[in-house]
Amino acid sequence: MGKGGQSEGNGAQCEENMAAWLLGVNTLKIQPFKLPSLGPNDVRVAMKAVGICGSDVHYLKSMSCGDYYVKEPMVIGHECAGIIKEVGSKVKSLAPGDKVALEPGIACWRCKPCKEGRYNLCDEMKFFATPPIHGSLANQIVHPADLCFKLPEGMSLEEGAMCEPLSVGVYACQRANASPKTSVLIMGAGPIGLVTMLAARAFGVSKIVVADVDEVRLAIAKDLGATAVIKSSQNMEDVGKELELIKKALGGAEADVTFDCVGFGKTMTTALKATSRGGKVCLVGMGHSDMTVPLTPAAGREVDIVGIFRYKNTWPLCIDFITSGKIDVKPLITHRFGFSQKEIEEAFATSARGGSAIKVMFNL
Amino acid sequence: MGSQGGGDGEEVNMAAWLVSINTLKIQPFKLPSLGPHDVRVKMKAVGICGSDVHYLKTMRCAHFVVREPMVIGHECAGIIEEVGIEVKSLAPGDRVALEPGISCWRCDYCKEGQYNLCPEMKFFATPPVHGSLANQVVHPEDLCFKLPDNVSLEEGAMCEPLSVGVHACRRANIGPETNVLVMGAGPIGLVTMLAARAFGAPRIVIVDVDGYRLSVAKELGADDIVKVSTNMQDVSEEVEQIQKTMGDGVDVTFDCAGFSKTMSTALSATRAGGKVCLVGMGHNEMTVPLTPAAAREVDVVGVFRYKNTWPLCIEFLRSGKIDVKPLITHRFGFSQKEVEEAFETSAHGGSAIKVMFNL
Repeated sequence: MGKGGQSEGNGAQCEENMAAWLLGVNTLKIQPFKLPSLGPNDVRVAMKAVGICGSDVHYLKSMSCGDYYVKEPMVIGHECAGIIKEVGSKVKSLAPGDKVALEPGIACWRCKPCKEGRYNLCDEMKFFATPPIHGSLANQIVHPADLCFKLPEGMSLEEGAMCEPLSVGVYACQRANASPKTSVLIMGAGPIGLVTMLAARAFGVSKIVVADVDEVRLAIAKDLGATAVIKSSQNMEDVGKELELIKKALGGAEADVTFDCVGFGKTMTTALKATSRGGKVCLVGMGHSDMTVPLTPAAGREVDIVGIFRYKNTWPLCIDFITSGKIDVKPLITHRFGFSQKEIEEAFATSARGGSAIKVMFNL
Repeated sequence: MGSQGGGDGEEVNMAAWLVSINTLKIQPFKLPSLGPHDVRVKMKAVGICGSDVHYLKTMRCAHFVVREPMVIGHECAGIIEEVGIEVKSLAPGDRVALEPGISCWRCDYCKEGQYNLCPEMKFFATPPVHGSLANQVVHPEDLCFKLPDNVSLEEGAMCEPLSVGVHACRRANIGPETNVLVMGAGPIGLVTMLAARAFGAPRIVIVDVDGYRLSVAKELGADDIVKVSTNMQDVSEEVEQIQKTMGDGVDVTFDCAGFSKTMSTALSATRAGGKVCLVGMGHNEMTVPLTPAAAREVDVVGVFRYKNTWPLCIEFLRSGKIDVKPLITHRFGFSQKEVEEAFETSAHGGSAIKVMFNL
């Protein structure tokens, strides 16, 4: 099917806009994707870099994610950056040719959460590749200009696409008040655990311990700057032993802030027990819905549990962190694919495999 | 048995000692000498807490274990008998309510104002520190708070359980815009409800399995009550009923019971971006839908006792914003027989909310 899409500049001839559609379980097809007309505050963006998220894989495998169900074919993908092709009549801040990173979710700005500044909890949120909203693994898409953030010179489009997963880590650090005063424990060295670690470092945290069951991922975490890494198991009986290893790695102290980037009964149990009184556990991962955890002893030490849902107002900060060198996301991009039927299938298979595949990136 | 000390013919200071499981004995209690910043207080009103009952029945509470005989009781108020040489703020005859816990003031927690989390905390009737169900105790002056004329000694003793509710309301940011759900209408659920109202909560719904306790809650000012069960299968139905009863969303839920069912209900009933404050200590481990709650940014905050709550409690009582008197349902004197009867009454629960000793 191949590449399609708008040809450069003001060419007379229009190629069809193509996108990767989720048609059914394990069925992705590159097919035409008709764009809406450009509103006065919208921009049309040629997609250049699109990353695959665990949720994209989950939708592919089960046509659902959490409470969301894919009932009709839907374009996949939401971690993206590209080049402005056209701007709406009222757009002043952007111009064709600008390189931008896209924040996926369009909030309504009429509901209570929006007005209170918690727009990530918007009742009517329209988010790339959360059904029924189409995603952005496409040649081009149309998006509000205020959700497109200009990339400074020297920042690549791939780094732009990485702003989305990085935003999860940044927002988690904000909700959990990570700071130079807080030691941090991170459960899980997958893509989310890793961006959380990078964000924590950028927030000034000096002691970061990372735990995972996978040695390859732990080695990556160590390379990326973890103070110490701990190999954990999936057995509840090992919690006590692992708590001791964590404590030792933190110099005999407990963690002030723990991020559970996995989300199982065992990881939350470890997190709650490893965190010092008055500290915070941030549940980022979405492993299991129901968990059996020692909630009462934790609450009785004023260890609070904060949750996160996506992010809010994080793109400018992510871009700053990347431009200043405080965060280097490039090592997380482990695999690259082009935009063809064969490659998208291979890409998703690679991402689903996990292991040494951290972030799989499409270059369009 | 005992009566006050002081004066020429000094009588022995007596206290209620927890000697072993289900065994309380009124016995002599030798007081330490008075430090320069200490006061000696004649106890007048002492309430029984669920933790006191728990110690009586099991000789332990959470990870605290009673290894030697210990004086019980910590919810108290009395009259100053004697003050240490550096004490300026209090004088003999002053009526005071006592904050039980003596923190170290050297550790990071204390220095950061989180003194309730002090690892070296010495707290009345948390082993090995003796409690205050006694004729007299010696205590730091800064933990004795003078009562205004219109606040009784019994109300002074009620400041301690009320402090739990006040601290919970602060941790959960209760104010004029937070609709509040309280799970459990026992003593703690009730003081939490009273505190929430004083903090300005516009709407308070309280739930319990016990119809009688719910009627008490309604009389004390709950906007609405809902009777719930102990069956996990009823959670989604009860969540619907609660949300309907509240009308607008539930902003903050206080779980003053602390079981898987109550926490599951709390996490599901609270609106996105809201808070669940776990106050009750029912079960240690709970099976709860934590992930869906976290993914709606429903945060879980815990409470451990309280900090800096006495002045506020006393002000609430002085102004009438809170009336704790209806919570005191049973009164007993300080004798061996009455001490035993009082604890039995408190343990029985039901219509017994706060059992108070008058000494």
